[in-house]
Amino acid sequence: MLTKKIVPLQSFLSVVSRRAGHLAGRHYDVIVVGGGHAGTEAAAAAARVGAETLLVTQKIHTIGVLSCNPSLGGVGKGQLVKEVDALDGLCGRAGDWAGIYFSILNRRKGPAVWGPRAQLDRQRYREFIQSELLCTPRLTVLEGAVEELMVTDANPQEPGRHRVTGIRLANDSDPILASSVVLTTGTFLSGSLFMGRTTSPGGRIGDAPSSAGISNTLRDRLGLRMGRLKTGTPPRILKDSVDFSLAKFQPPDSIPSPFSFLNTHVRCKPEEQQSCYLTYTTPGVERVVRETLHLNCHVQQDTKGPRYCPSIESRVLRFPGRSHQVWLEPEGVNSDLLYPQGLTMTMPPEMQLRLIREIPPFHRAEIHTPGYGVHYDYVCPTQLSPALQVKSAQGLFLAGQINGTTGYEEAAAQGVWAGANAARSALSMPPVTLSRTESYIGVLIDDLVTRGVTEPYRMFTSRAEFRTSLRPDNADLRLTLKGFEEVGCVSSFRYQETVRVRDSLQEALTALQSLTMSPPAWRKKLPDIRMSEAKGNMLNGMEVLQYQDVSFEMLESVFPECLSPYKEFSQRLKIEVFLTFFHLSKRDIERIQREENMSLPQDIDYFSLPVSLSVEVRQILDRVRPSTLGAATRLPGVTPAAIVHLLNYVWHKGQKEKRAHKRQLHQKEDREEELSARNAS
Amino acid sequence: RYFFALASCRLTPPHRRLCTGDGGPAGLADAQTVFALSSGYGRCGVAVIRVSGPASMTALRSMAGLKHRLPPPRTALLRSITDPRTEEVLDRGLVLWFPGPHSFTGEDSAEFHVHGGPAVIAAVLQALGSVPGMRPAEAGEFTRRAFQAGKLGLTEVEGLGDLIHAETEAQRRQALRQMSGELGRLYQDWSRKLKRCLAHVEAFIDFSEDELIEDGVLNQVDTSVLNLQTEIERHLKDERRGERLRSGVQVVIAGATNAGKSSLLNTLCQRPAAIVSPIAGTTRDVVETALDVGGFPILLSDTAGLRDSPDLVEREGVRRARERVEQADLTLVVVDGSHLPPDDGEAAVFLQDHLSGVLPTQDQCLLVLNKVDLLTEETKQKLEADLSRVPGLPPLCFISCHTNEGLQHFLTELHNRVKTLCGDPLSGAPTLTQARHRAHLQQCVAALAQYQRYRDADLALAAEGVRLALTGLGRITGRVGAEEILDIIFKDFCIGK
Repeated sequence: MLTKKIVPLQSFLSVVSRRAGHLAGRHYDVIVVGGGHAGTEAAAAAARVGAETLLVTQKIHTIGVLSCNPSLGGVGKGQLVKEVDALDGLCGRAGDWAGIYFSILNRRKGPAVWGPRAQLDRQRYREFIQSELLCTPRLTVLEGAVEELMVTDANPQEPGRHRVTGIRLANDSDPILASSVVLTTGTFLSGSLFMGRTTSPGGRIGDAPSSAGISNTLRDRLGLRMGRLKTGTPPRILKDSVDFSLAKFQPPDSIPSPFSFLNTHVRCKPEEQQSCYLTYTTPGVERVVRETLHLNCHVQQDTKGPRYCPSIESRVLRFPGRSHQVWLEPEGVNSDLLYPQGLTMTMPPEMQLRLIREIPPFHRAEIHTPGYGVHYDYVCPTQLSPALQVKSAQGLFLAGQINGTTGYEEAAAQGVWAGANAARSALSMPPVTLSRTESYIGVLIDDLVTRGVTEPYRMFTSRAEFRTSLRPDNADLRLTLKGFEEVGCVSSFRYQETVRVRDSLQEALTALQSLTMSPPAWRKKLPDIRMSEAKGNMLNGMEVLQYQDVSFEMLESVFPECLSPYKEFSQRLKIEVFLTFFHLSKRDIERIQREENMSLPQDIDYFSLPVSLSVEVRQILDRVRPSTLGAATRLPGVTPAAIVHLLNYVWHKGQKEKRAHKRQLHQKEDREEELSARNAS
Repeated sequence: RYFFALASCRLTPPHRRLCTGDGGPAGLADAQTVFALSSGYGRCGVAVIRVSGPASMTALRSMAGLKHRLPPPRTALLRSITDPRTEEVLDRGLVLWFPGPHSFTGEDSAEFHVHGGPAVIAAVLQALGSVPGMRPAEAGEFTRRAFQAGKLGLTEVEGLGDLIHAETEAQRRQALRQMSGELGRLYQDWSRKLKRCLAHVEAFIDFSEDELIEDGVLNQVDTSVLNLQTEIERHLKDERRGERLRSGVQVVIAGATNAGKSSLLNTLCQRPAAIVSPIAGTTRDVVETALDVGGFPILLSDTAGLRDSPDLVEREGVRRARERVEQADLTLVVVDGSHLPPDDGEAAVFLQDHLSGVLPTQDQCLLVLNKVDLLTEETKQKLEADLSRVPGLPPLCFISCHTNEGLQHFLTELHNRVKTLCGDPLSGAPTLTQARHRAHLQQCVAALAQYQRYRDADLALAAEGVRLALTGLGRITGRVGAEEILDIIFKDFCIGK
């Protein structure tokens, strides 16, 4: 595992800056703007698909920076990391490389909702991402600020349809041309920072604000609906000044589980894992928040912030009189800082110090960097297609916070998908989509493009209707095969590995089924297991493995010759078998998949469609432009009757096309026959 | 609400079947078997109950005493129809067996022709519901299954959309009627409790590792789920507890004050059921009376005149009146004919305006012009001629409750409308609704048992049980989306990580 050597940062930078001089006027297949979680995944995915790709970022050394919390994964989010990894993305492997504290959340609540999570070393994470990008063929990285996003005027034949042509950098008059552009501007789009009563333009403290050019193009030239959201980050505290004896120690898992399907273990040795601690707020915290309210612009604004991960101010205001949890998380192996998860605050720095000292372990703590809030623009994501392309601008893709989401994992998930589609679009391949029934990424994108957002969107397992089949353990079977065969964003090495896993699992299940015995015979073999089955019914190994107390290892020790080849999959087999008997949502999945597969043409004119639809339904369909019949059925206000009419239309159209296709084939055959006849004569 | 109900078998692409012309049984067919009363409701000699799906044969064999032999296909057999649970004979009637693909839906199907009394129909429907794998059909489901199996032509498909629209409308009205009663409040209460249970389980799954979620949360859910399960089971066992559903076509008299609505009610039921007086606003509450129109049962309601009133009691009366109109199968809009504007076009404009003030939709309504005895014959004829030329007006009747003039014509018109409405098996058929409710409630109870089964082994599967229970109940009370659950989570818990 992780055999790839990290190239020293210095040489990486020099390679990139040597290239930078010759770019103006060049044409790329894909340009990715932004080097955060969405941007790096998008650039890497586009290059994997085969596109000549350029990643433009303000500062090369901030590529792969963890702007907020030093952690990855969690419940729902861990599923996203697994899925990004299954599509050959970076963040899973980066997490395994940089992780310094691993734990699987929800261990006792069922494998479908296990949440793989890790605390990360910020330095190592950045190094990994940067060296990965460097080693990616077809990918160039350029340091620079984008001044302008270039789009064509609307096509007179199709009003409101533009095409993206490239970008222009600050202090650089020549544009860099591209067929596709992926914008991953994070909090930098018209971002402003808030601390106490002061505000300043910017998307992250210590970085220059980005130009208003991109925002202007999106809003004024493309006429996109935009909104404003807010988020924040806590102060960083000097580790030495914290009294850990007053907090509760939280041990990591004794054996870290890697995120990536390619890794069998992580870089960090189990015994070298760092520590996390838990503490609680006191009534003093609430007092400070209330006393400083008049000094706190961020809290007073009515811009929408998330209901989850709120600032400490909004937590004590919404749930007064309670004590709230604060997690003390390490920032890295060699870092002397500590991240107080749960203490996002935007009051003046001196008040922040007063507040944290109300919390016992922090009674003598010193702040290294104060916390602050950010307001930023996002594009209402209902204006995107399920490929994350702006509907009104051919070749323009958006991913990450610009679509109204929050979180590294959500950003990375969109990044992979937007990058892959941007590359496919540039290389004249049709767009690809993921369904809600096969992945959390599909749930995320479908929620965004059909429902939009009213607050920063975060993934929860409860958003996935088919949670029991979208598990972290089977993300490879769900996505890697498709990623290789249909999308082209997966290496053949990973594909071969997943094929091997799939075949072995299948063989193992067959082997289990072949082990058929009567209950008394089973009881003899497994004396500790209570088996209630009546005497006459034969039981096979799969049925026995379904018992809660039976593990694959137990069966393997009884039938070593038959089952030992599959020992490495023992946990996956147990999960698979336990849930196979739970067929509940399978039929629903099939039904939805059938509907999802029926695509509605994007250029359809709903107002002149010759089927009986009410004006209201036409308006809704025209506004949202669902890409499939399935998406149409989920739109509020679209009646069942309308769906029948749409279905009929789609079917009718499909028939017509099929006939036309057949005609063409015939004509071609005729011509060929004619040709061969002529040749023969 | 019905959106998701329909989704349960929504429209499998018909392509493969239709393209290949292969008439075999639908490979994509729904695995569930559905049943419904297929003939109209109301007084009828024979009622036809149709069953479609793989368990049709099981149902037929266990209910028609055909355990030891196969019924010949497409041949009527006279059998005793029994309840498979109790072996009690419910009726003696004809049974037919249509093995797929040679049936209307393309699936294995069966028909029971039984006597048309509500008690017999209810008993047979309930007995069918007790056969494993059976559930009551959703609106338009037989037609949809036929569509899926490629049994319908294109023109018939066009009609299907309209059919579903009509049926969902009928169901919507019916649900509205039920949901306003005691039973409705009971179901809503269960739904509210279940939503909270689900929100708390979901909160525990998504947040308990990072957040301060009290340990007692799941224990509370355990108690609530158990209580709900017991409560619903008891409700299912004790059928007398169910509210008696008002049966019959719901006909509502509505209109402005002093138009003669109560007089019309009294005239129709031939007794002074409602107080009439020349004082505007005499009727304040809904006055109900059951009637038989040409053999069809109707429930006639007189309502308060619609006007803005400062009087609190009258305002409540007007609210109730509007609620009734919403729930009605047919509305009789009564207008004082002597107060129509005399000029040519104006009467029509006035009536259009008036109608849109009274009715949300105008498809099921009769316009009744009362007090024509106060008009001269000439004015009346001119009015009749004028209005008959106006497109878009509902059917019109000129009557006088005072002299009974025009009453016969009105009754004929009413009879025709009620007859059409009764032809629709969904309108006013409480037995069918009860069977549907029972099925959904049983599904709900089973799902709650699943919660208990998996509670300790796999909380995600247990949560799936609560979700399923809520879906079952949601078929009666309205769908519950993921966002609604998240709203409860964020209201009840402080999520900070």
